[in-house]
Amino acid sequence: MQSRLLYDIIGLALFAGVILFGVPALFGYDGFELNTFSRYLSLAIVSMALALSWGTAGLLNLGQAATFGMGSYAMAMHLKLKASGDNLPDFMSWNNVEALPLIWAPFHSLTFTLLAGLLIPAAVGGLIAIFMFRARIAGVFVAVITLAFLVAFQLVVIEQQGLTGGQNGLTGLAPLVLFGWSVDIYSLSFYYLVGACLMIALVFGLYLTHSKFGLILRAIREDSERTRYFGYNVANYQTIIFSISAGLAGWAGMLYALVLEFASPTYMSVSFSLAIVIWCAVGGRESVLAAAVGAILVNLAEGRLSDVFVEGWHLLLGVLFLMVVMFMPRGIYGVIVDAGRAMRRKPVSKKEAQPFETSLNPKRES
Amino acid sequence: MSQLEVRDLHVTFGGLRAVDGMNFDVEQGEILCLLGPNGAGKSTTLDLICGKTQPTGGSIRFQNLEISQMWEFERARLGIGRKFQVPSVYKELTVAENLSVARSVKPGIWHALTSLPVRNSAKMREILDLVGLADKIGEPAGNLSHGETQWLEIAMLIAQDSRLILMDEPTAGMTIQETDRTARIFRSLKANHTLIVVEHDMSFVRTVADRIIVMNQGSKLAEGSIQEIESNEAVKTAYLGH
Ligand SMILES: Nc1ncnc2c1ncn2[C@@H]1O[C@H](COP(=O)(O)OP(=O)(O)OP(=O)(O)O)[C@@H](O)[C@H]1O
Ligand SMILES: [Mg+2]
Repeated sequence: MQSRLLYDIIGLALFAGVILFGVPALFGYDGFELNTFSRYLSLAIVSMALALSWGTAGLLNLGQAATFGMGSYAMAMHLKLKASGDNLPDFMSWNNVEALPLIWAPFHSLTFTLLAGLLIPAAVGGLIAIFMFRARIAGVFVAVITLAFLVAFQLVVIEQQGLTGGQNGLTGLAPLVLFGWSVDIYSLSFYYLVGACLMIALVFGLYLTHSKFGLILRAIREDSERTRYFGYNVANYQTIIFSISAGLAGWAGMLYALVLEFASPTYMSVSFSLAIVIWCAVGGRESVLAAAVGAILVNLAEGRLSDVFVEGWHLLLGVLFLMVVMFMPRGIYGVIVDAGRAMRRKPVSKKEAQPFETSLNPKRES
Repeated sequence: MSQLEVRDLHVTFGGLRAVDGMNFDVEQGEILCLLGPNGAGKSTTLDLICGKTQPTGGSIRFQNLEISQMWEFERARLGIGRKFQVPSVYKELTVAENLSVARSVKPGIWHALTSLPVRNSAKMREILDLVGLADKIGEPAGNLSHGETQWLEIAMLIAQDSRLILMDEPTAGMTIQETDRTARIFRSLKANHTLIVVEHDMSFVRTVADRIIVMNQGSKLAEGSIQEIESNEAVKTAYLGH
């Protein structure tokens, strides 16, 4: 209903208030804390991007970390070139690379870098999507194929030491210079830059989910077969949302490389990709806003708790995920929606609490 | 030229000839009822027309265009709509959203990206009034009863506004009153639509059918008006057994 849009707008306004004013005040404008929170915000973008493909269209992309990594490498390549000046980047000399490789050259340009960090992941995502969805691959097979792509891609990045810095990734980066402003990643301005990126991504995501496009995607998620008989080219719809989601992940990756001042193949690891799924599920994959909140909360908890349980954190995360799957399949978002409905004293229908498994296999025989 | 021309249509599943040499024409604006015992191949014939199943032989021409090799969505865009035997609505979407999906005059992505879904238009209310679901407009379709789900899918096909509508057992599970209402709606649809209706309810068929084709074991057993069919010996044998 219309009210859903209203709730999302109110939610976004509250969220924006907390992120833009609450958080900096709470941390007393401390540079280190702001930097840490900037990291959470960039991760919130990749989580909301997954909510678009997984939550809205039912396409569980386990390769989200690959496109995230592409964005981070694009940004890191630009900053590495800047740091190296007229010389060849240091790791290239160590690997006996004589001249700057051809694909590195355009990353001297910031404009090219920003476009590449967004469009290359979107194009790669779109290409994989075309092959998958033309062939009507659905459900758990999407997860398997994207996971296989992630593993292969990470291997290639590690192998190609001369191009990528291999296992070490790209380190020793220069600060970004944006319109003459040398970005200080411990400043409030940088925090606002990342925050603004997240807000733009969320507004865009909310628009998509509330548009007719979003409605058709939800129809496809529920019954892709049926949707074809209304004249929709289902494969195209799936390809577009998959590509948009991959592009947003790349954007998040660019910010992430800025925050951490390096790019590493660990950004493209299976465990990182699974972590994104967990954030998204904890927040609630049906809503881009909830998925963003999920990413921030889980990472906040990790930041606080991993000091206490140094070794046990991953176990804890796994347990958290299992609890969410079993007790709140729609995440925090589902709990809030159900609570809101209960307050209006309407009976909560059991039918709507869709079990987690069906999301892996949205295709239903008609 | 007829609106739909089916020639020598075949499909086999494994060794089973589900449709075995069907030939028939459907004229613009008529209601053709497809009868036959269980497993006769009625649903499969509709599947072949809408693209759910690929034929192993034969041709299907719609408005003088060969459609048997087209994708499902291309046939839908040409003007073929389908109601399935097992009611298929989107249970997680509201009634209004279901209609909004079905209303696919512009099914392209660009249009979808640049517009908001219609949640309450005069046209939508008119359709919901027709099928008696007006007070359920904001309800998730999963909360509807079986009969209401049938209505919703019929409403979705009216919203889709296809020139040729394929209805597979639309009155299954309906009360007598609901069936009568469906018959009235179908007759009013005739003005702008052609209908192929698979039905078991003979009194319903008697009220709506302009012409009847009886199928048995994948092929056409008889064709004609209701009187001709009811007095046909071969049909009696097929239904009553030997
Ligand atoms: N996809 C399929 N794969 C294998 N066999 C099928 C398939 N679809 C239909 N059949 C078989 O083809 C035959 C015709 O089925 P169809 O559903 O067309 O019958 P029907 O006339 O609609 O019957 P009913 O009145 O029971 O709906 C049946 O024997 C059925 O088992
Ligand atoms: Mg049937």
